[in-house]
Amino acid sequence: MKKNWWQDKFNLFMVAVAFFTFLFMTAAVGTLMIKGLPQIGKALAAPEIQFAIRLSLYTSLISTAFCIVIAIPVAYVLARVDIPMKSLFNTLLDLPLALPPVVSGLCLLIIFGTTAFGAWLEGIGLPFVFTVKGIIMAQIFVNIPFMIRVMKSTILSVNPRLEFIARTLGCTPAQAFWKITLPLSKNGIIAGIVTTWARALGEFGAALMLAGATRFRTETLPISLFLNMSTGDLEGAMAAANLLIIISIISLYIFNKFGGDFIGGTRGV
Amino acid sequence: MIRFADVSIKLGDFSLKNVNLEIKEGEFFTILGPTGTGKTVILELIAGLYRPDAGKIFINGADAENIPPERRKIGFVYQDYALFPHLNVYKNIAFGPQLGKIPSPIIKERVKDLADMLGIAHLLERFPGTLSGGEQQRVSLARAFIMKPRILLLDEPFGALDPNTKRMLCRELKKMYLQYQCTVIHVTHDFSEAGMLADRIGIILEGRVRQVGGSREVFENPLDQKVASFLGAEPLKTVFAG
Repeated sequence: MKKNWWQDKFNLFMVAVAFFTFLFMTAAVGTLMIKGLPQIGKALAAPEIQFAIRLSLYTSLISTAFCIVIAIPVAYVLARVDIPMKSLFNTLLDLPLALPPVVSGLCLLIIFGTTAFGAWLEGIGLPFVFTVKGIIMAQIFVNIPFMIRVMKSTILSVNPRLEFIARTLGCTPAQAFWKITLPLSKNGIIAGIVTTWARALGEFGAALMLAGATRFRTETLPISLFLNMSTGDLEGAMAAANLLIIISIISLYIFNKFGGDFIGGTRGV
Repeated sequence: MIRFADVSIKLGDFSLKNVNLEIKEGEFFTILGPTGTGKTVILELIAGLYRPDAGKIFINGADAENIPPERRKIGFVYQDYALFPHLNVYKNIAFGPQLGKIPSPIIKERVKDLADMLGIAHLLERFPGTLSGGEQQRVSLARAFIMKPRILLLDEPFGALDPNTKRMLCRELKKMYLQYQCTVIHVTHDFSEAGMLADRIGIILEGRVRQVGGSREVFENPLDQKVASFLGAEPLKTVFAG
């Protein structure tokens, strides 16, 4: 830790950049909150916002559950199993993180809207184009690489010797995973769930492309914000934005508390 | 009996080459060698963590390749203890028996007996993170011994301990070894520890087993120049003083 940083021009410059960045971010979010918070009560009474909240909660909870169930085994393979072409596999799984969400949405629209596979799914009662299921699919597609990264880092942070010792004490590989690796990954799982859920709540681009933006049908909070802006209802848009900001702040707090250091490669992502 | 027949394995830059080794049932066998020569890999091969690239390992005459680690009746104690950090001392020691569906009063009694024997009865409710190195190593030994292993593998078990604790634990280990009558394979780079504990010693250098013999024999008659120069740094009288 550097004390007396103001006596050094270099440190003074760095602190000034950090301060203005913080100031800009706080000002941007703060202005919206100051202007939007008084409208929240009124906005919450509006049926379209109530619908958007319900739909956002419903889709984000389901997509987060799917993300956990899929991400844990995939992350385990990436962290522990020596498969051929693992690094290619890893890169491809990360792809949706780097893609613009609208491109992810277009990919999904093409596969579910124009192929025999999509038609078959629709035939068995799983239509994804312009439906609520499409929102869930878009949220899963965009968020699963994130959940996999968090879980992979979490599993890598568990000493593999512990699993091995469990094996020598009588555990099968599956028992060693359930009794040792998973409980020791608890913080990473909680951090991953909360952040994936918050990201799912805020998912817009991919969901817009696949599920469209229809009032009282595929209207989640971000879609509601978009529709309100399109119709010039700034108050409604700000109310939806404020709800998303509050959720983001809470989830960021929980994420930092339980496992902020699992992100960004600090534990061998 | 454990037998290595021409076992080779390559792990990253490290390789173990054509290891031939026989460890008799019930003996205390110490693998002695400098850091990074493959001592731990030999233990992990016996335990089933790795499969040899070539050669075979036989445990009591059976090809070990088809025996998963959980069925090898092996206890493993690492230098870093490898205690389960989310379980308290009691649950760490009772972990194995609880998997085996042994009635809990019997498990309780066995944990208590071992904890008394190792002087850790007062620590049963504590978590590993709150224990000293010596205490953690005692818990680790208790966790291994409670399974009544046929083979006990010790990977530099006292390497991170101060000399007094090390001497005390060496004595306790020897006592438990005699009581439990298992085969012990002990890895170390510490001559005095080897001299104090081993019935026989195997010298491993650069991924190869260079010499096997009784502990006095190995120290007094090194087989070749490499073994001699590895052992040469330690005067014999200090080795057998323990």
